[in-house]
Amino acid sequence: MRKLLALWGTRGFLLLMLLGSLFITFMSLPYFDFETLPPFVIEKLPLRFETVWLAALRIHVTAAALSFPLCLAAMTRASQRRARLHRWLGRFTGGLVLFALVPSGAVLAFDAKGGPIVTIGFLLSALIVAGAMVSGVQSARRRDLLWHARAMRHVLGQMSVAVVSRAMIVGLDAASVDPELAYVVALWGPVLASVAVVEWLSRRPISKRKPVEHNERIARESSPLAVMLPVRALPGPVARDGG
Amino acid sequence: MAADPSLVEWAEHRVQVGIVQPLAERGGSRFSRSRPPPHERRVRITRAALSRDKQGREFVPFSVDVRFGAGDWQRDDIVGCAYRASGNLFIQRGEAYFPAALLLGKKVEALPGACQAAATRS
Repeated sequence: MRKLLALWGTRGFLLLMLLGSLFITFMSLPYFDFETLPPFVIEKLPLRFETVWLAALRIHVTAAALSFPLCLAAMTRASQRRARLHRWLGRFTGGLVLFALVPSGAVLAFDAKGGPIVTIGFLLSALIVAGAMVSGVQSARRRDLLWHARAMRHVLGQMSVAVVSRAMIVGLDAASVDPELAYVVALWGPVLASVAVVEWLSRRPISKRKPVEHNERIARESSPLAVMLPVRALPGPVARDGG
Repeated sequence: MAADPSLVEWAEHRVQVGIVQPLAERGGSRFSRSRPPPHERRVRITRAALSRDKQGREFVPFSVDVRFGAGDWQRDDIVGCAYRASGNLFIQRGEAYFPAALLLGKKVEALPGACQAAATRS
């Protein structure tokens, strides 16, 4: 029963995030209308470096529109069962995140409304994404799949902030919370909560597992056989962690 | 210069029609990081007399206040001026004044000297 709940919980989360990502992408299309200015841009004016800022916004939106669904795809069992596909998905998405999403997001962070506290929140999120992505790639290369899954959950967790944060802004607006306060709460809440949830998910099963079983699992995941027989080795261990 | 009720009424109406109503109709983009649209807007004419800019054109300065939910009014969310002869509306962004069409997404340039009184008249 517990496993079933966890399985459907994971699926539900992935589906919700996919829908949220698609909706954000749809709502971001006006950013590519070069004739008009969307409200998000108008309220930022005047910008110190308007051209750079607008370019960063478009790069960020494009990178997010591609990398978030691809990250979600990489988290599915279907992708993890196909090691080759999973690796290529990871390489492409990792490159996109590290070289487009994070740098453009960092540029945008400095003009975020809400002042330094919001800027720091966005930069912290970017740091977690970049750090976890690098760590996740390194751990995949040394076949430390447990660490890889944990790091990639942190990446996905911070990406999910985009959806959760916007949902919170809508909810807090409906509850008549001041938009300035709502914006800060809707950023910091999901950023910190994502870290906490990922750490909880990553640590909980390991502490509850019998030591012998855990050691066997690490040995199996580290074994060259796991790479030679991806269909046998990958689905169970990675998918069980939801990684 | 004495306060002119008809001027105040005219300016309020002009800002209502030119800014407040179009913004209300436009609403805000949901599920976006842009600020949610305020629940209420009100127009204040901040000087109930005509001022003249350097070109000698007469204008009336105004402010639009906003309110979210049951919160207090937040003053000066939009600051600008309405030109008496043309009815043109300008809004302030930073130090410059732009045509109010900027608020509706039009790409427009700032007009130097707009809404800036040349000299105080009494």
